[in-house]
Amino acid sequence: MKYLENVRTNTGFSVLARWCSFCLIVGSLQFSPALADTPYEDLLADEENGADWLSYSGGYQSHRFSPLNQINSANIDQLKVLWAYQMQPTSISGAGLQETTAVVADEVMYLTESPSSVTALDVRSGNLLWHWSPDLSNEVLNIGFPRINRGVAVLNDKVYVATLDARLFALDAGTGAVRWETQVAENSLGFSLTLAPLALDGKIIVGVSGAEAGVRAFVDAYDAETGEQLWRTFTVPAPGEPGSDTWQGDDWQTGGGSTWLTGSFDPELDLLYWTTGNPAPDWNGDLRPGDNLFTCSVLALDPDTGEMRWHFQYTPHDTHDWDANQIPVLIDAEFEGQQRKLLALANRNAFYYLLDRETGEFLLGEEYSYQTWAEGIDDNGRPIVIPNSEPSREGNLVWPSLQGATNWFSPSYNPQTEQFFVANRRMGAIYFKADAEYQPGQPFLGGGEQALDGDQASGAVIALDAMTSEQQWEFELLTPPWSGVMATAGGLVFGSSNEGQFFALDAASGNPVWNFNTGSHIRTNPMGFAVDGNQRVVIIGGQTLFVFGLE
Amino acid sequence: MPIKSTLRRFSPVKTVIHAGVLALLLCAPIPVFAQAMEGGEQLFQTHCARCHGILGEGGEGPSLKRPQLNHAADDTALLTVITGGIPGTGMPGSWMLSAADAQQLVTYVRALGELPDEPMPGDPAAGEIVYDAAGNCASCHILNGIGEGIGPQLNGVGARRNAEYLRRSVTSPEVEQPKVVDRFRGTLNAFLTVRIVSEYGSYEGMRVNEDAFTVQMRDLAGDFYSFEKAELISYDKAFGHSFMPGYASVLSETQIDDVVSYLMTLRD
Repeated sequence: MKYLENVRTNTGFSVLARWCSFCLIVGSLQFSPALADTPYEDLLADEENGADWLSYSGGYQSHRFSPLNQINSANIDQLKVLWAYQMQPTSISGAGLQETTAVVADEVMYLTESPSSVTALDVRSGNLLWHWSPDLSNEVLNIGFPRINRGVAVLNDKVYVATLDARLFALDAGTGAVRWETQVAENSLGFSLTLAPLALDGKIIVGVSGAEAGVRAFVDAYDAETGEQLWRTFTVPAPGEPGSDTWQGDDWQTGGGSTWLTGSFDPELDLLYWTTGNPAPDWNGDLRPGDNLFTCSVLALDPDTGEMRWHFQYTPHDTHDWDANQIPVLIDAEFEGQQRKLLALANRNAFYYLLDRETGEFLLGEEYSYQTWAEGIDDNGRPIVIPNSEPSREGNLVWPSLQGATNWFSPSYNPQTEQFFVANRRMGAIYFKADAEYQPGQPFLGGGEQALDGDQASGAVIALDAMTSEQQWEFELLTPPWSGVMATAGGLVFGSSNEGQFFALDAASGNPVWNFNTGSHIRTNPMGFAVDGNQRVVIIGGQTLFVFGLE
Repeated sequence: MPIKSTLRRFSPVKTVIHAGVLALLLCAPIPVFAQAMEGGEQLFQTHCARCHGILGEGGEGPSLKRPQLNHAADDTALLTVITGGIPGTGMPGSWMLSAADAQQLVTYVRALGELPDEPMPGDPAAGEIVYDAAGNCASCHILNGIGEGIGPQLNGVGARRNAEYLRRSVTSPEVEQPKVVDRFRGTLNAFLTVRIVSEYGSYEGMRVNEDAFTVQMRDLAGDFYSFEKAELISYDKAFGHSFMPGYASVLSETQIDDVVSYLMTLRD
């Protein structure tokens, strides 16, 4: 069979060879996408299987690491566009920002288009297989964020997508037909879903946006076959529940703590890790005294019950909108002489953290980007806040800006070199405090910011020693980026810029070895896969998805 | 790879750079929080500030501190934009607003970009003569299609800038320069002086574009240059420098008053 002749001997392709053998057995699928079937066992092996990219972060550990090494600094000058797909924004797509990470399963690429559509493409040609759009009203609320979607989850024969109007759909992977749908929350209260769902064994996990509308957020699990809700865990406790002593009065009812970014999963510990966003209202902390648990935190949840096993709050009583909705990266490595199961997170608040992911114990918290709000992190993991660094009526200049030292766009971890790569925003803002009154379905902010001029800001891709946070190198960008990074076993780190370049850096030195002008801003994460034994790298510039390869 | 490449020589009058992407927005720095605006201010902070900045100076959304808004020629159109949004852009409709609140927002947003009526310090007719003769302003500025395009075009500058800003621009132009507001990149200096040394020589001009790998520059002769940053000997951004000379020592106080008055009359 033709594929087998092309299979490389690289380690990363062994699983591809297995799949091609499977295709051979099934037969008659040589030039068409194979059966749409992604069992849970495949999701467990997602990162090791370089041919597919089955989940948002390329595996439950959320390393966004491609084990493929066919493309490397010796041959990257031959990298070229093999095909492109142009997205089709509609009148309800808002600004048409595309923040999706495509997934590739069995030679089909599934991606979302703003606001909440799903497209299936043949990975060889980019030809359309099917396209699905939900019936969204132009009056759908998106309070505090653009009309975007970050991607799908795949499990068995279904593709799962969460929508701007707070529904969750299961689509038939072969046709895009709706298998089931469920209303997760009320969009009229400001709830939206923009994240890529996370598929576990028989379950689909989602979180919500809406803290800028004063929602009380939660993490939900749904039965993957039926859509039945299995559990809901609120991120803001009701009176009497653990953590409720960090709120006063009725503040908890509008407390925020959104769960708008895909989490991670440790199948051995059987723990689900999910991050939470800002307390509401954002910038006026006087209206919600206390630490405001469990906002700006990472939660370790029992995936069967939703029960919270532990939590760690990165930014107690946040007043700068520094959501902790960044990717929790699961790392198994030796930390200070001891082999540990770690959770690494480069936080929007400009500090890099390591936790023990079994217990939630705080292990390390170090500044990785310029900031003016904390002297450091104390032994318990609590920031030592610099006085007068809060928003004020007159305006108060603080670094980083409300969009943080990084944001939702993904970091990458190379387990072979223990390097942690971050797309870093370097920008300050004048923070203002204002009055706020909660009204259902309306913005509940209590202030805002005026960001500094772009000429007083910059960006970078930085490489950290994942165990110490020591910066190994930086590659400077003109302006604070909105796009993530992906490391590969080929010794490369792929990243992008607002100026539209998709580039590759040498992972050891940070030196640029290749770049391509996509012709528009880039606001998503790179991903990679392989087909017919050939490595592919993917980015979206503007409305166009580009697939690169050597041949 | 050639380090210096003259892209193409344009007649300065016809020079248009990235008109769609880098629309020049000449922002007026005026105080906005008047007493009568309290209700509108609160509404603005709640519904608009997240994208347009709490001072209205822009962010992910454009600056609103300008007299003409692209999608809202008049107050009726502005009301439609506020309540209905702008399809195909990031501007959502705030259809949940009451009619009274929406109207308050219209008033507030309009006030952000409006200049207060100010007395002219001099004689605009005399100022026009200064513009043409003693100031020789057309040697660097295009006004109503006439002049050289080294500095910013001055059509409508009197609607965008108050007397204080105009006077400062004439006497100390390096203090504040026009900006480009880019949705993804933020607010950038539109006339930033850059000084570049490559193995082929030294170059000085105004940055027209830049990214992590390259910089594009236009010199005073109107030639474009594009450089690979990695191959440069040095690259300096001269913040606080302007190619426009200060005219305090060239023009008399009266002439400055007159030319400021003339610029104030340029409303369209």
